[in-house]
Order: sequence, then C-alpha cells, then structure tokens
Amino acid sequence: MSLLSVDNLTIGYQTKKGLLRAVDKISFRLEKGGSLGFVGESGCGKTTIGMALMGLLPDNAEILGGHIRFQDRDLVSLTEIEWQQVRGAKIAMIFQAAMNALNPVFPVDEQVKEAIVTHQPDISDSDLTDRMKELFDLVDIPIGRMKNYPHEYSGGMKQRAVIAMALACNPALIIADEPTTALDVIVQDQILREIKTVQQKTRTGLIFISHDIAVVASVCEQICVMYAGQIVETGTRKEVFKSPRHPYTRTLLGSYLSLDNLNDIQVPDMKETPDQLSDDGECRFSSSCAACNKKCAHSSPDWIDISPTHKAFCCNPEMIRRGHGKS
Amino acid sequence: MEKADARTRLLVEMKQVTKAYMSRKRFFARPSQTVLALNSIDLGIEQGEIFGLVGQSGSGKTTAGRLLVKLESPTAGEIFFDKAPINQLKGPRLKAYRSKVQMIFQDPYQSLNPHLSIAETVLEPLMVQKIGTPVTRMEKVVHTLDTVGLSPGEAFCQRYPHQLSGGQRQRVAIARAIVMEPHFIVADEPTSMLDATIAIQLFRLLEEIKSAFGMTILFITHNLAAARYMCDRIAVIHEGHIVEVNTAENIIRHPEHPYTKKLIKVQPGFKYSR
Amino acid sequence: MLNKYFVSRFYKGWQIFIRNPLGKTGVIILGVFMIMAVASFLVPLIDPMYDPMTGIDPDIKLSTGPSFTHWLGTDNVGRDILAQLLEGAKVAFIVGLSSAFFSIVIGTLIGMIAGYAGGLVDAFLMRIADIIMVLPSLVILLILASLFGQFNIWIIVFIIAIMRWPAVSRVIRSQTLSLKHRPFIEASRVAGASHIRIVLRHIMPNVLPLAFLYMTFRVTSAILVEAALSFLGFGDPSQVSWGMMLQWVWKSGHMFQAPYWLIPPGLCISLLTLAFYMLGRAMDEVLDPRLRKEGQAE
Repeated sequence: MSLLSVDNLTIGYQTKKGLLRAVDKISFRLEKGGSLGFVGESGCGKTTIGMALMGLLPDNAEILGGHIRFQDRDLVSLTEIEWQQVRGAKIAMIFQAAMNALNPVFPVDEQVKEAIVTHQPDISDSDLTDRMKELFDLVDIPIGRMKNYPHEYSGGMKQRAVIAMALACNPALIIADEPTTALDVIVQDQILREIKTVQQKTRTGLIFISHDIAVVASVCEQICVMYAGQIVETGTRKEVFKSPRHPYTRTLLGSYLSLDNLNDIQVPDMKETPDQLSDDGECRFSSSCAACNKKCAHSSPDWIDISPTHKAFCCNPEMIRRGHGKS
Repeated sequence: MEKADARTRLLVEMKQVTKAYMSRKRFFARPSQTVLALNSIDLGIEQGEIFGLVGQSGSGKTTAGRLLVKLESPTAGEIFFDKAPINQLKGPRLKAYRSKVQMIFQDPYQSLNPHLSIAETVLEPLMVQKIGTPVTRMEKVVHTLDTVGLSPGEAFCQRYPHQLSGGQRQRVAIARAIVMEPHFIVADEPTSMLDATIAIQLFRLLEEIKSAFGMTILFITHNLAAARYMCDRIAVIHEGHIVEVNTAENIIRHPEHPYTKKLIKVQPGFKYSR
Repeated sequence: MLNKYFVSRFYKGWQIFIRNPLGKTGVIILGVFMIMAVASFLVPLIDPMYDPMTGIDPDIKLSTGPSFTHWLGTDNVGRDILAQLLEGAKVAFIVGLSSAFFSIVIGTLIGMIAGYAGGLVDAFLMRIADIIMVLPSLVILLILASLFGQFNIWIIVFIIAIMRWPAVSRVIRSQTLSLKHRPFIEASRVAGASHIRIVLRHIMPNVLPLAFLYMTFRVTSAILVEAALSFLGFGDPSQVSWGMMLQWVWKSGHMFQAPYWLIPPGLCISLLTLAFYMLGRAMDEVLDPRLRKEGQAE
C-alpha cells in the first residue's frame, strides 16, 4: 500500500473571472520512504498541491474532485480539527524562507520542544531531552547552539532548525515547498544534502516542490513536470533528464542555465501565461508548443507510456514514443 | 555610435572603491557598526563587452552597480567613465552622464510606476534629458517597444503595468533603459524574479540589443551559469572583495580562487543526463 | 493624472468601500446632510420669513415649539429653527471641507518635502510639526479671538487649517519615505529626473489617496472646533451655524425650556462628525496595503 496516493485531484480557486482550475485531474503515488519532486513554473499548481496535502488551502480554494489517500485515510474530507491531528505529527511541511517561521523572541530549542510537546503532551522530560539531542544531531546543529535565539543563527542554520522542527514528531511524510530558494547557492547545497541524508536515515516520504529542475533532481528519484495545473511528464530523474519526451519538459530543460548544458540551450518562443480557463480535453500547451500541429486541435491529450516508470501526457503518441534521437 | 570597432579600452574603471554603511545607536553617538559593502575593489570593464559580476547575497555586487549609476557615492576610491572621474559630477554634467549610463532593475513588479502608462514610463528619460521633439520622442518609444519584443508598439503604449505579466514588465524596463541608446548599462539581476523559460528569452534579447547598439553591459547575478552563458569576462565577488577576474571560459575551466572553486562545485547540475 | 489606472483603482476601491457597513451608513448620513445644505439655498426663496438670520415671522415674537408653519419651531426672536439648521449644515460643510482641504494641501506638501529631502530639512520641518501638534488649538483660537475680537468665518477656517496640518504631514512623510527607495523612483533618478519632477510626478500620485483619507478626519475636527468656538461666543456673528444656535439657546436662557431648539443642532453636529468618521474608517479598509496588491496582472 502506498504511503500517499492521489487520484484525479482537481482544485479550483474562485476568482473574479470565474473558477480557475489550479490543479486539474492530478494522479500520483508515493511509496514509503520514497521521494517525489514536482517541477514547474509560476502558476503550474505545484504549490497548491502542497497546500492541499496539508489542509492549508485558502478560503477561496475548493477541492472539486478526486481523492487523497494517506496511510489509508482520506484527506479530502478531513475537518479542521482532524487536520490538527495530522499536521505536524504525520505530515510536516517546510516552506520557502522558512527561517521567517521562527519566532524571534523564543530560543530555538523552545520552539522545537513546542513542536514535540504539541503532539506528544505526555512525553517525559528525559525522553524530550533525548529526542531534542537526536534531532539537532540529525540536522548537524551543534548541541551548544541549541539555546540560541534565531537571530544568532545563520540563514542555513535557521533552515536546518526548521527541518528539525518538521521532523520532531517523526512524520511519515514531509512536504518541502521551495525550501532553498531564498538561500545562497553554497548554503543551498548544504541544505539539499541535509534533506537527502535525513530522508534516507529516517525513511520519511518526501515531496519536493520547486521551479528549479536541477535542485529537484538532486533530491528526488521520481520527478513530475507540471504545466498549467496538469502533470505533463513523469519519470525517474535519469529518464526525464536523459530522454525528456514532452515538448514542455524539453523547453524547460532547454531554458535551464547550468554549467554542464550551456551548449544545449534553446530559446523558446513561449507565451507567458497559459490558458487555464480553456475547455476540458484541449491541450493547454498548444499555444506555446513547438511541435503543435493540426492534429492537436482535433485530439485530446492522454497518458502515453514510455517505460514502466516514465510517461507523458500529450496528443501525439508517435512523437512521444519516438523520442527525439539524442536527448 | 561605434559598433564594429570594439577597441579594447576600459570604458569603466573602479579604483580601490570602498563603500561603508554606518549605523549609529544614538543620533549623535559615534557609529557603532560599520558594514563594508565594498572593500577597496578594483574593476575594469572594457568597451563593448558583457562583464559579469557574480556573487551571493550580501557580497556587494548590487552596491557596485548602484555606485556606477550614481545612486550612491563611494566612501573612498575613484570611479572613471571613459577615462573621466565621476565622483564629483554635479548639475548638467551629472545629467549628461546619466544619459550615457542606465540601469535595469531586478524587480519587474516594483520598477515601473503603476500610475504611468507604458509610453509615459519609456518617454521619461527622453523628456528629462530633453532629447528630440514630442513627435520624434513618441516614434522612438514605439520603435523601442518593438525592439524589445512588445509588438505592436502602439498597442502597448496605452497599457498600464498591472495589465502586463512579469516578463513583459521587464521588457518595458529594458526599453526604458535603452531608449536613450546609452553607452553602458548595469543590469542588476534582471531575470532573477522570472521563470527560466521567460528569463532565457530576455537573455537573448539583451544579447541582440548589445550587438545592435554596441553597448557595454555589466551583468550582475548570483547565478554563475547565467554569467558563463552571457558574459565575456566574469568577476567573482565575495564579502566586498573581488576574489577573481578572468574570461568566462577560464573562470569555469580553470578557477584559481578557492571561493570560485566552491561556487562551481555547488551549482546544481545536469549530471543525470550523462 | 486622471488616467485609466486611477479610474480603475478608484472604481475597485469604491466597490470595497460601499460594501463596508460603515461606508454605507456614512454615505447615507452624509447624503442627508448634503440635501439639507442644498435645501438651505432654496428655503428662503419660499418665503423670506424663513431666512435663518433675518427671517422673522410677523406673528411670532417668542420661541415656540414645532408647528405647521415652523416644523421645528422658532427661536426666541421668531426665526425658523429648521431654516437655521439647514444653514448650519451648509456652514458645517464649508468650514469642514475647506479647512480640511487647506490642511491637507499644507500637510501633504510639507510631508513630501520632509520625507524626500531627509536630513536637516526633515528634522526642522518635523520639529515645527511637533510643536504645532501639541498646541491646544481651541485654546489658541480663543486667545486670538479675545485679542482680536470676533473673527470672520474664513479666518477661523484658515487658523484651524494651520493648526491641524501636522498630523497629515507625519503620515505623508512616512509614506514618502517608503516610496523614496522604490525601484521606479530610483529608475527616474537614474534617467536624470530632477527632484521636483520626482516629487510631483511620482510621489504625489502615490500619496494622494492617503491624503484624502486623512482629509476626512480633519473635517470632523474642523467642524467640532468651529462649533465650540461659536458656542463659546467667539464665532462669526454674521453666520448661522450649529454652534451659534447652541450659543443662542444658552444665552437666551432657553436651554432647558426648548428641547426642540437645543437638541437638533447638537444632534446634527454629532451625526455629521460621525458620518465623516465612518467614511474615514471605511476608506481605511480600501487603502489598507493588504488589499492593494501591486503585482497583480488584470
């Protein structure tokens, strides 16, 4: 049984212009101890998924359909009170610039203690101290610095403290939403290693959301590429990087500036905001797609299998299966 | 404007430039904390090149850019533009300097006045510098908007920033910076707030503009790969010091300073494709 | 400056404003008073007997209660109270709005200059503002009135404005300070714009909505000061205002004998100031940065 399984999830926002489908019929699975990355640009819906998995959708958002099953429990129908049992204890989240989530007037150890005690009110003092030492060890913060205030920590240390708080109650799943975007490149490298080590040691499930495909790939084995609220390609990181099939994935990889792919840069001709109010069944990428042809106007995109772990969502099965020769 | 003759002479030079920020605890007390944003740096940018200044947050790279467009003055040291010192420029000479040196700001959501139409924003430099006549100014604005990819220019003239996307706004910012055809542009992280697929288009635009107008560009960024892609030469800056300057290729292939080596090592890579 | 952006923001602001219960109530009350003020021009035309200052009903020589000819009754000289009330509404609006207008013009200019220039200029201007702010305006006015005799209404308006600009200037100054370092202002500097151009073309439009908000608060205080002055006998004797009416009730000894004369002006003063206050609170919600998202594409 998967740790997390999401089927046909659709989430909409009520806006002045009507219902905006931020997430449209998303399905994916995460096994215990596995890591899944969501990559996409602004407006693709990846953050909405993260929020839905924590029950933190804003007031004007609604789950319009589909299921979220976590440890054999349906999350869509949870009330706020029930969510409070799940959040922190079973599912924890690390936000972007999470160092701002630390309360500046309390020492860091107090804040981590609070995270533990909220969900385990009967924990004994000695157990608590042991657990604290374990956590700080896990994220490589020296025990001597435990009692410092947040402003005495560097940016990277703050982020690690936040990771410690997220892990405090041994959650089964961690959702990390752009955890390193606000950080220095050198600190980002440290934090990513930290996340990877911690995840492997504790066998916690990880969902990693970012706009940066290389960052996602450094942490997650399986990647989902999102565009306009839909997953357009999913595969292992090797498959997605070595042989990207969906035109959007290829555009994304071709736009990414990295020291090892500067010769493969291709400047796309993309529209900036996709049409998210378009009808069901139409390909949302068609206005920006280099491979769009007359056939696309008459057919609906569907899932095309390339390998047991790799598939793409497109109207053109031949093109997808053929690949593009060299990646 | 000279285009083809890229004489390798220094257009911009910074000699031992220091910028210190002092904070005082009380109004008349002596400054208790001094932050050296730039610590005696030396920098030379050649005419016609794209020069990259790579550093992380707090390194001083933005400060260097601000000193070059004279939004701030150095605490010590001299800055030269076209062999002439700029520290003491005032009045009409300062205005003339400004017509030759422009800046593209980082945040597309804050760098355009929401009350002004696109045309008014791009017109402003021309009006302030009293270039041309009202008729020729508007023509220039429309032409510049077309050049930066906001076509048709006339249609975009009437729009307001809140009607445009982030990438489009940044194109307006670029249009404003190039409308006077300056000699030198400081681009301060022009794409860091944009998606990769949009950013790459803007990079190509900047390259095209540079070729067409023969401009010299200082490209400030935290992304070493972007600098390698865009720039002829790169300087790496760390905590107010320039640690290494070299051609873009050599910085990556043969880094010398340990900080540069570290920066290269931690860049997220595409290794999975190999 | 009345361009598409201003208009669309104004419209959106209006929608938020009118949905707010305080805004709705405030606008309704204000509407009633505005009708009253307009009516004050028309009433004497019906019959000269209704002129608030000089209209004397030939049949009535004393203060009488409400009747068919005089809906609210008459004062001790036989003048119609309702007509006086309407005239008072007109005066309240004139005094309130002009005084508020002058004080925001002065306050905005000084606030922008102080905020933008910074340094000694800022310190100097703000110290002056502080000094004026702590002066008790009513007391000063009373002292001046007793020195120079009774004032013309416009002098009163002007003096109230002079005493009240500091509060506006503080707010405008903070707003200017935060705007000063925004990238679009820096871009103008880099283009070579002069300071005057930046202040007038870039800072002022962004600061005006706040200035208008503060205008509503100034109106209430101006109305109250004028009422107090008139009540104490230092107002303009040639003008009928609500404060003046209260003065007459008191001076003629009818305070406790003529509720129909005493209550209406007092009630009007309270209601009108309440209306402006509600307007201000509702506008506050409109202008709250939480609601004002700059980076939103339409």
